[in-house]
Amino acid sequence: MFAWLKTLASRTVAWVSLRHVDQEFEHELNAHLDMLTDENVRKGMAPEEAKRAARIRLGGQAQLKETNRELHGLPMLETFFQDTRYAFRMLGKNPGFTAVAVLTLALGIGANTAIFSVVYAVLLKPLPYTNPEQLFTAFQANTQQGITETGCSYLNFEEWRAQNHVFSEMAGNVAHQLTLTGHVEPTVVKTSVVTPEFFALLDVKPVVGRIFSPQDGKRGAPPVVLVSEDVWRGRFGADPKIIGTSIDLDKRPFTVVGIIPAAFRTPFFTAKQEVWIPLVQDPVFSTRMPQRGSHLLPVIGRLKPGVSVAQAQAEMDAISGRLAAEFPEENSGWTVRLVPLQKEIVGDVKTGLLVLLGAVGLVLLIACANIANLLLARATSRSKEIAVRTALGAGRARIIRQLLSETAVLGLLGGAVGIALAYWGVKALSSLLPSSLPQMNPIRVDYFVLGFALLLSAIAGVAFGLVPAMFAANADIQSTLRESVRTGESRNRRRARSFLAVAEISLAMVLLMTAGLLLRSFSKLMSVSPGFDVEHIMKADISLPQFQYSKPQQWAAFSDELLARIQSDPGLQDSAVVVPRPIADLRVTLPFDIVGSPPVSESAAASRTTSYVSISPSYFHVMSIPLLSGRLFDQRDIMSSPSVTIISKAMAQRYFPSQETLGKQITFGFPPAPGVMHEIVGIVGDVRDDSLGQDPRPMVYVPYAQAPFWGANVVVKSTLSPSSVAATIRQEVQKIDKDLPVTDVAMMPDIIEASVAQPRFRTFLLGLFAAMALVLAATGIFGVISYSVSRRTNEIGIRVALGASRGTILRMVLRETLVLTFAGLAVGLPCALAASRLLGNMLFGVSASDPATLAIVAITLAAVAALAGYIPAGRAMRVDPMVALRYE
Amino acid sequence: MAGDKSEILQGTLDLMVLKTLKSMGPLHGYGIARRIEQVSEDALQINQGTIYASLVRLMQKGWISGAWGTSDNNRKAKFYSITRAGRKQLNTEAQNWERISNVIGRVLGTAERG
Repeated sequence: MFAWLKTLASRTVAWVSLRHVDQEFEHELNAHLDMLTDENVRKGMAPEEAKRAARIRLGGQAQLKETNRELHGLPMLETFFQDTRYAFRMLGKNPGFTAVAVLTLALGIGANTAIFSVVYAVLLKPLPYTNPEQLFTAFQANTQQGITETGCSYLNFEEWRAQNHVFSEMAGNVAHQLTLTGHVEPTVVKTSVVTPEFFALLDVKPVVGRIFSPQDGKRGAPPVVLVSEDVWRGRFGADPKIIGTSIDLDKRPFTVVGIIPAAFRTPFFTAKQEVWIPLVQDPVFSTRMPQRGSHLLPVIGRLKPGVSVAQAQAEMDAISGRLAAEFPEENSGWTVRLVPLQKEIVGDVKTGLLVLLGAVGLVLLIACANIANLLLARATSRSKEIAVRTALGAGRARIIRQLLSETAVLGLLGGAVGIALAYWGVKALSSLLPSSLPQMNPIRVDYFVLGFALLLSAIAGVAFGLVPAMFAANADIQSTLRESVRTGESRNRRRARSFLAVAEISLAMVLLMTAGLLLRSFSKLMSVSPGFDVEHIMKADISLPQFQYSKPQQWAAFSDELLARIQSDPGLQDSAVVVPRPIADLRVTLPFDIVGSPPVSESAAASRTTSYVSISPSYFHVMSIPLLSGRLFDQRDIMSSPSVTIISKAMAQRYFPSQETLGKQITFGFPPAPGVMHEIVGIVGDVRDDSLGQDPRPMVYVPYAQAPFWGANVVVKSTLSPSSVAATIRQEVQKIDKDLPVTDVAMMPDIIEASVAQPRFRTFLLGLFAAMALVLAATGIFGVISYSVSRRTNEIGIRVALGASRGTILRMVLRETLVLTFAGLAVGLPCALAASRLLGNMLFGVSASDPATLAIVAITLAAVAALAGYIPAGRAMRVDPMVALRYE
Repeated sequence: MAGDKSEILQGTLDLMVLKTLKSMGPLHGYGIARRIEQVSEDALQINQGTIYASLVRLMQKGWISGAWGTSDNNRKAKFYSITRAGRKQLNTEAQNWERISNVIGRVLGTAERG
């Protein structure tokens, strides 16, 4: 039924031609009157009498015309304009109130919009690929070994790809760093090593040239490379002729076949990738392609349309079952786990972001409660105006609508200023965001976020306007019109104001508690010792091209020479080579066996792993890691001498609890020679090698000379400036090989800082929001109490006149404050405890119900509230009874 | 304003206007008002002006149409006639009305007996 549509259409037409409608209706009414008069005359009335009777019969003409107009026009729209105009006028008349309300709201909405833009870009917005919901990651998992997600071997990947009927395409993708030389200063470029289907799967269109073809992935194919648009513009001047020419990666020529758009983000990697090469061309990974037992390749797949996750999982289970039967040695116990790509990319930042969004939402709630409070106070002083309106015939709904228009205008004004703040806020946030936050989509205030902000301000406008408006509309006209200011506030309204103040305090308590916990946990985290001396430690990376430096002996020789050269510099004697460095680099974790110990159960063996670090003898000295017993590595420990190892205290305590540790032998499977027995020659202090928040794990150290890597990661302890240290290292490296880049020069304290970027980000923002909440709640209390004092000036005057002391008055007002505060704290306590439980594993070294934090929060709130109440209380105390009694 | 308590009365009046136009053919406002009064045997004394609000509503819904013409005694007047949509609506509404008044009658009847 389109009747309402027709009505709307005809009304709209009539509205634009109201004059005409009026005239026509007047004619019609006149005709009606004439006919009625005629009839009356026929009945025998005198003409004048007949006319009068006709008028009565027809009814009030002015009213009929008014009704007619209303029916014809768009009355909703008209009253809307009228209300809006009026709202602006009212707000303009109270610039102080308007400014406070708009600013409060703008802060709330601005903060919400800024945080939401991050949440939206990271969590909600679909990944920037075609049909992103079809994209899944396929991990290998092994429950017996406690491994939930790891890559698969290339051979398995080939089987998956060939045997499955559920994915339209599958591709592997792993990160690497290669050295770009030739055209420019040697640099390390972030490289994605992919199977050739990768770009077709993600439906990437190159800026110039082509993407990889299946031929590019075959063994013996000429090496090809895809270059990112950023590198292309930055290093090659956006020259389209680069296609077909070659660039050197790890000193090997690769032909450029295409340019990948700057907006493209390689899944999994938070950093922007710079070049892409086929897996078969990678110097490291290609050698591991024939090993079925390796787990090098994370795989993504695109589900065929109409295939459910359960179907895909079932199919992959069947395939892993077949592989386990066919290759039991490498595949038994291994299953496939499918995870939506978005979920995998978002990872563990979700909880943190949602906590922030919740916190900033609470700030807005407090802001709304504050404004509602202001409005209630104002509504009391406006009650006469409302009563007059009601007396003149305005209905309840009409009054509510008018008052809501005012708050809606307020809400939208606040929203507009808030959005402006959000633009600025997002810029500020971008510089604060931890680099580990996956940013597949750019974080900005886009249309969706704008819509969110507008919706939020509209909702906020209604939320804080509705209660005051209902109170105003419900007022009893008679008493209001008679009422003088003397009689004080209506009981209900006062109760509502008190309720809002209590709500504000309890919400503020929730925020203060969570912020307090995060702050305490962060300070605990920062005061934790990593187990080594951080000050004056610098690091630099030198990676060796695989094609030139293919033998471990070459790696060892290179690092020996480099270290000798660096140490000969007077400022840099304290330097060492270490792979991987604690916190700065990813851990290498290996299973191990203790020679001569009885065999343990399979599950115990699976969880028995240790971090593996290869170091030059000077490492422990440079890092100030103490030797607890035995000896350090020295010149004796070379490739040809017996393999030795130094273990950490945690390792010794856990696996050699009650026995002589030194002299025992352990084996762990890592190149160059798995299965070699290493004699324990020393025990050193524990190091937090993963992150500050993780307890020290068992670690084994081996001499670099016995277990070299294809790169030399250098640590130097020096009081010289980082730039001069970097310059010296660079100089020495290039004396050995002029094409080797020195990269990632950084100070250890900065690395530690960066490693806590996420908790720092959370703590900072939540602290900011809690501070906002505290200020808002304090203003809320201040508003309620000072309003109550001003309403009671008269009463206070009487009390003083009757002999009440100033102290009594002060106590009376303060009691009101404290009752509100304690009510707020009582309500806030369980809420705060419930909210802090949501923080879960974001806390470090402090429990979610930490009594100290709780006490500090409660005392802070009570003190601030008391202070906010004391100012009006002081005013009440100084009330002059003569003035007060005359006060109107 | 629309949506207040007189909603039922409005609807009833609209129904009567439609019915009148259906049985009488094109008629002006005065004629409709007179006719309703007559049929109801003057039990329904309306402010004749209220008929016009009803006419406007029905026009806007497209259930009646209006055109200026000349009355029996040579006066210019706006004549209204029922449209096809209007007839359809009248049928539905009349049935509804029947059903409701039946129900109400029955409810009130039982109430009396009980």
